[in-house]
Amino acid sequence: MKQPEAAPPVLPGGRRPRILVAMSGGVDSSVAAALLVERGYEVIGVTMKTFCYEDTVDHGKTCCGLDGIRDARRVADGLGIPHYVFDVEEAFTRDVIDDFVSEYAQGRTPNPCVRCNSNTKFRDLIARGKALDCDGIASGHYARVERSEEGGTTLLRGRDQEKDQAYFLWGLPPDVVEVLHLPVGDLTKEEVREQASALGLVTADKPESQEICFVPTGDYRDLLTRRLETRHPALEPGPIVTSDGTVVGEHDGYAGFTVGQRKGLGGGFSEPHFVIEVRSATREVVVGTKDELDASRVEVGEVNWVVGSPPGPGDEVLVQIRHRARAVPASIQQASPLLRLSLHSPQSAVTPGQSAVLFSGDQLLGGGRIIRADTRAPAPSPALGTMQ
Amino acid sequence: MEPHLAENFGNPSSLHRWGRAARNSIETAREGIADLLGVDAGEVFFVRGGTEADNLAVLGRARPGLRIGDRTRIVVSAIEHSAVREAALQAEREGAEVHHVGVDPEAGLDLAHLDALLDEQPALVSIMWVNNEIGAVLPVAEVGARCRAAGVPYHTDAVQALGRVPVHLADSPVDLVTFSGHKLGGPKGTGVLVLRSGIKLDPLHYGGGQEDGIRPGTQDVAGAVGVWTAFRLALGERESEAQRLESLRDSLAEGLSRHLPDLRVHGAGLERAPHILNVGVRDVDGATLMMALDLQGVAVSQGSACSSGASRRSHVLEALYGEQAEAATPIRFSLGLGTDEPEIEEAVRRTVAAVEKINMLERVGR
Repeated sequence: MKQPEAAPPVLPGGRRPRILVAMSGGVDSSVAAALLVERGYEVIGVTMKTFCYEDTVDHGKTCCGLDGIRDARRVADGLGIPHYVFDVEEAFTRDVIDDFVSEYAQGRTPNPCVRCNSNTKFRDLIARGKALDCDGIASGHYARVERSEEGGTTLLRGRDQEKDQAYFLWGLPPDVVEVLHLPVGDLTKEEVREQASALGLVTADKPESQEICFVPTGDYRDLLTRRLETRHPALEPGPIVTSDGTVVGEHDGYAGFTVGQRKGLGGGFSEPHFVIEVRSATREVVVGTKDELDASRVEVGEVNWVVGSPPGPGDEVLVQIRHRARAVPASIQQASPLLRLSLHSPQSAVTPGQSAVLFSGDQLLGGGRIIRADTRAPAPSPALGTMQ
Repeated sequence: MEPHLAENFGNPSSLHRWGRAARNSIETAREGIADLLGVDAGEVFFVRGGTEADNLAVLGRARPGLRIGDRTRIVVSAIEHSAVREAALQAEREGAEVHHVGVDPEAGLDLAHLDALLDEQPALVSIMWVNNEIGAVLPVAEVGARCRAAGVPYHTDAVQALGRVPVHLADSPVDLVTFSGHKLGGPKGTGVLVLRSGIKLDPLHYGGGQEDGIRPGTQDVAGAVGVWTAFRLALGERESEAQRLESLRDSLAEGLSRHLPDLRVHGAGLERAPHILNVGVRDVDGATLMMALDLQGVAVSQGSACSSGASRRSHVLEALYGEQAEAATPIRFSLGLGTDEPEIEEAVRRTVAAVEKINMLERVGR
């Protein structure tokens, strides 16, 4: 029997379960905290200070910076729960920002929110949660956790398909998932805002945050320029070539390019051209037609399984190759050390550095980082594969 | 205080009878405070808190020289409260030279360095009476005597000193002294600057000339009466209370040391006021410890906090211990009227339990 999250069990001694909830100051995590309070949990709010906000010039950005901390604190005050600030700047810089820069320097397109969830946010939350005698941790992500009576835990997509954020949670260690609560996963964004207004939360009308939190200007190249050494090859001009090696132009640094991108290539092609590959070793940005963007075989590294018994070779899964992309059928050709997937129908712009996330229906199985996509070799028909 | 927030609504600057009544209340409070501190009533100025008094002293002394392009020096200790530290930084931005006198964990304030700096005729020496983070008592009499001999005005921030250590300004060679009302249970946002007659000072505000133009603006009558009351109550029981707190503080330090063998008592080698105990705990995450203790009802602090609420490295501990300051997580316990022996035992028990738990988890995590 699966049960959605409801009233907490009363623990021995009549104690209510204590939950540590990550509050960014945004409306989702504010409502998450409020719902947990409403359900009868003992709730402790925390906001993670991830980088030095004093260095950023722009002040009006949502969810980040001191405004976020202040809003989270005001919401916590209103809910009558304690609120603390965790300074995770050092770990965040190392695990998220440094990785972000290094990925671009290697011609890949990183996914910093995934890195943060996998390496920083939830790990920190669970470590401190244990020290603070917490029974669980929570966040405002749009995904669902279902617990069976036997004690099994299932991580599912959020009820609101538009807002679903399961894609970002593939890197969670199993011990995190076990104690995780995602109270807004059963709601739509609309309902979350209604809840926030009904509860009178100060964050009810806060605009959505879209940018990467440590790139408040929205231009990540500024950050690369600041953090890479001067004249780093990623920021130096290089050739734009077609897949047969013909030089067709020059770019101003391959770090500014991502697979599938059309902008910044100059014109002069007989049909629309897109970036199909970024070669950091030769500083080449390879362009091609829409057809050349298609890939059927995907190789994935740094794999993490959220489920206890992961799928193996020959198993059929759904794979999502970017946020907001539809999950498509694929079969697993190899499960380790690298995960090799064969997509049943080719997908456009499978981008190294982005996450490939595996689902079974709505259930999140796990995922990894895309290492490479085979854009040229046609995929074998599934019938000829290794189906068992 | 209460009548001054209700029926005695007069503005002390007004000439009518309600104004006179209010002025009478303020002046009575001023005289009362002057008596308690051992100064003339004309040397007591009401301001809006300790930070304002510190800023007034530092910037007020720096600016006259800066205004006419004189070389202006300000001397402060390396462990000042941020109100003095930041005001000195502002004076520096405005062109002053700021010198920091070091404090050694064993030898205390570097008086030889101070002597050398006094030769340069600074516009002000500002060295606190009792440090707010570790409770260290600085040698006010020695500093004052040296300043007097050099003819240099001496300011001391006595916010943490009054009511905790003997403060008799009649026989203390100090020229400007900062006090706060709320530290002794008075209303928040109230303070006093003692300014000896003859010491020139630029005000920070301009207006109606209240407080002899040192702090213009309509006076806070209830606040002034509140400060006086708080001072009177704190000084009335100072000696017995100090002895009581000192023994509690020592049993707290002893209890913690017994269970946490690596514990470092910050400022142990210095004379310390009885109401603060600052200890360093090795190998434990400070922020987590702070939270664990708060959730357990033990209200401690970590020194200073930045505006986000995240803890920040302590310049006081850095000044005292250099790179070694990093090795231990500071926890500051403040003791006061409500603190008693059972509470100390409970604080020891809960602190030790929290540290051990966090330590255990961190070991597992590694």
